Amino acid sequence: MPSLLKGPLGGAFPPSDSAVHRLGSMQTVDLQAMRRYWDDDLVDYVIVGVGSAGGVLCQRLARAGFRVVGLEAGPFWDTEKDWVSDEVGSHGLYWNDLRITGGSDPLTLGSNNSGRGVGGGSVHWASFTPRLHPSDFEVYTRDGVGVDWPISYADLKPYYELLELEMPVAGPAYFPWGDPHGYAFGPHPLGGVGNKLMEGCAALDIEVSAGGPVAILSGSRGDRPHCIYRGFCIQGCKVGAKASTLVTHVPDAIASGAEIRPHSMVSRVVVGSDGRVEGVNYLDRNGNEHHQRARAVIVSGYAIETPRLLLASACPGHENGLANSSGAVGRYLMAQVGNVVLGRFDEPVRMYKAPPAHALTEAFYETDPRNDFVRGYALQTVGPLPVAFANQMIAARGAWGWGLRRQMMDYNHWSPLGVLGEILPWEENRVTLASETDQWGLPVAHVSFNLHENDRRVSRAGTARAIEVLQAAGATETFSESRYAHLVGACRMGSDPATSVVDGFGRTWDVPNLFVCDGSVMPTQGSANPGLTIQALAARTADYLISQGETVFTSDRRDMTPPPVRRELSPPGTHRGVPRLANR
Amino acid sequence: MSGNGPDARPRDLATGESLPPASQPGYYPGFQTLSQRDFWDSATRRVVEERVRNVPRIRFFSPAEVPLMQCLCDHLLPQGDREPERRVPILNYLDERLAAGRIPGYRFEVMPPDGEAYRLGFQALDRMAWTARGSDFLGLDWDSQEALLKALHDAEPWPGAEDVWSRMPVHRWWALVMGDIAAAYYAHPWAWDEIGFGGPAYPRGYSRLAHGEAEPWEVDERRYVWVAPEGALSDPVESERVAHRGTPAQGQLGTH
Repeated sequence: MPSLLKGPLGGAFPPSDSAVHRLGSMQTVDLQAMRRYWDDDLVDYVIVGVGSAGGVLCQRLARAGFRVVGLEAGPFWDTEKDWVSDEVGSHGLYWNDLRITGGSDPLTLGSNNSGRGVGGGSVHWASFTPRLHPSDFEVYTRDGVGVDWPISYADLKPYYELLELEMPVAGPAYFPWGDPHGYAFGPHPLGGVGNKLMEGCAALDIEVSAGGPVAILSGSRGDRPHCIYRGFCIQGCKVGAKASTLVTHVPDAIASGAEIRPHSMVSRVVVGSDGRVEGVNYLDRNGNEHHQRARAVIVSGYAIETPRLLLASACPGHENGLANSSGAVGRYLMAQVGNVVLGRFDEPVRMYKAPPAHALTEAFYETDPRNDFVRGYALQTVGPLPVAFANQMIAARGAWGWGLRRQMMDYNHWSPLGVLGEILPWEENRVTLASETDQWGLPVAHVSFNLHENDRRVSRAGTARAIEVLQAAGATETFSESRYAHLVGACRMGSDPATSVVDGFGRTWDVPNLFVCDGSVMPTQGSANPGLTIQALAARTADYLISQGETVFTSDRRDMTPPPVRRELSPPGTHRGVPRLANR
Repeated sequence: MSGNGPDARPRDLATGESLPPASQPGYYPGFQTLSQRDFWDSATRRVVEERVRNVPRIRFFSPAEVPLMQCLCDHLLPQGDREPERRVPILNYLDERLAAGRIPGYRFEVMPPDGEAYRLGFQALDRMAWTARGSDFLGLDWDSQEALLKALHDAEPWPGAEDVWSRMPVHRWWALVMGDIAAAYYAHPWAWDEIGFGGPAYPRGYSRLAHGEAEPWEVDERRYVWVAPEGALSDPVESERVAHRGTPAQGQLGTH
């Protein structure tokens, strides 16, 4: 063995109150200098939940000059002090409050799909950022399943392009599926899992997108350093290379005058005697109740907490829950098939290196008449760390005792692949209020989930394909774990007030100054990770609200005129490009 | 040492002799993630070092429950191959989670709260043991304990505790306990050394990403062949887990 550096030159990395070991320059957020509103100040917008959508909304609306308060149930992270490179030590990034889960194929919640704290789920996402395909917006017309969106791919495309630059997304110069496009930041180098995906797909003549699309910096940008390939993406990126709204949008929101109020758990959206919302009630970290007045409210709590809040806000005139005259609040909840298929290789893979998300194929995304199902799936790299991997061995192989010890000693020989498959929206997959209450005395969410035949066939086909790819790459043994990934739906947008909760801009059909903007508005989900779409929808809703101006606060009129795309509202540094000479 | 008991050790395949207890079993001799701690950020260093140095004291389990839970840990994640002072105190970490009331963000509607589920499971273990052998679980010999637990693993519990298993499905109870035990063990840096996991790597990062190559400070694999102690029913594992009563075995932890 060569002689190794036994420790860093100059000694151990110093305590975190020193800036010495930070990678590259870092932006600083001064919360003391942040604009503050009193509860009885009448602000323009209260945004409930400062996650993927809420972070973008706060940034856009504040930059446009509105008075904005973002209420976040969790903390405002100080990443260097609060986050660790440790699976169990990262438990606090997730929404860990009690939820009851049932149905014939129950979802698990928390670590896999629900964030808490400023940045929300974008703090712990693996940050794959594929766009939806144009077909995703019209699955009913094309395949007779699910429902069409009230908007088209063309409506969202400018916002995909914007957010891909704002995060920004690293990936290949040419991405061939859906609406083909390229990425401005270069692709990442492959880790061992990406090697296996590439080798297997090459042998089977399947196209692969290598090195992205993923919202992780492949080169430093402004005040953010590039990826160091340590593999702890879903434990929160201490480096700051992975995009979360905590680093991409919230600092600019604050600089533009928004207040982000952490440890504020909203308990009720309050409706006034005129039938319009007048603010929200929330609990601070000590359980004291407050009321923040607002001229409009946007609920951005994601697919479980958003319907939970609307249902808990039932009041005279809205007995079945706020904005629920359709009965659709909480219904059509979706998760994606998220099976992990593992192949064992004679040579080591070391799956823990490189971002878990760094290569994928969407070659099986679209409906194929040769299949016995409609819609499809993607195959993606994943990188479970030891505790997650042990749980896969337990769930999928029944490993225990000496058998578990033996399997785990082979951790470095396994390469996983993630199946990401489309599950269709079903009315009975839903969020309701349980009889149990949480630590605040608020009724917790009950989540019921059942798979249908098409969903099961997508799942089986995706798993079979992943096994085929791993075997083509040389795997000598394979197994698969059935699981889910992501959550969307449960407050879907639509064209018909009788079957949807919000219109195509996120405005509830029932209350003109109440909006929903997060993953819960998605009517279907495709086989794309939802994070980019959620942020793109938020930027589009923000442009709409800005174009509507004061009428949101003063009028019940529903104007469906598409807004102009406001590229100038992107955070500073997004659009630079080659300088052009003025006046030529 | 005969083939059973908490100190039972794996055997050499060729000779059948028990392997000597090791400070570090596994195929990566000399690899120590903790030796890299000066390269870690201080928040991570603090969390991992605390885990090793300050083992939490028992607060949730009663003194009467501790031997039973320890016995479960010894069967479900045996450490007889480790020198006694190098065994991971699984019970203490597991107890700490229950005492702190930390949950993963959900509860299956068919399950009681986690702490209650543990205690119901203890009742079931004793009742099944009494029905079969006229003794509580701890009074069974090691091989009978192993057989009873294998039956739970197979979701075919011995008679005697039908009322408990009607209140919570046996496969959900098994997944709860097994998941907690595995999380406690594989969160420990000694387990990382055993399996060759590189561990925390911020702010230094990894430099050799592709094709399973080891970092300069990592260790290449040196495999040896071993068989489980005589009487162990947990090895080898099934090739694919059979779904229980129509419910697919769903995983719980996130990767994407």
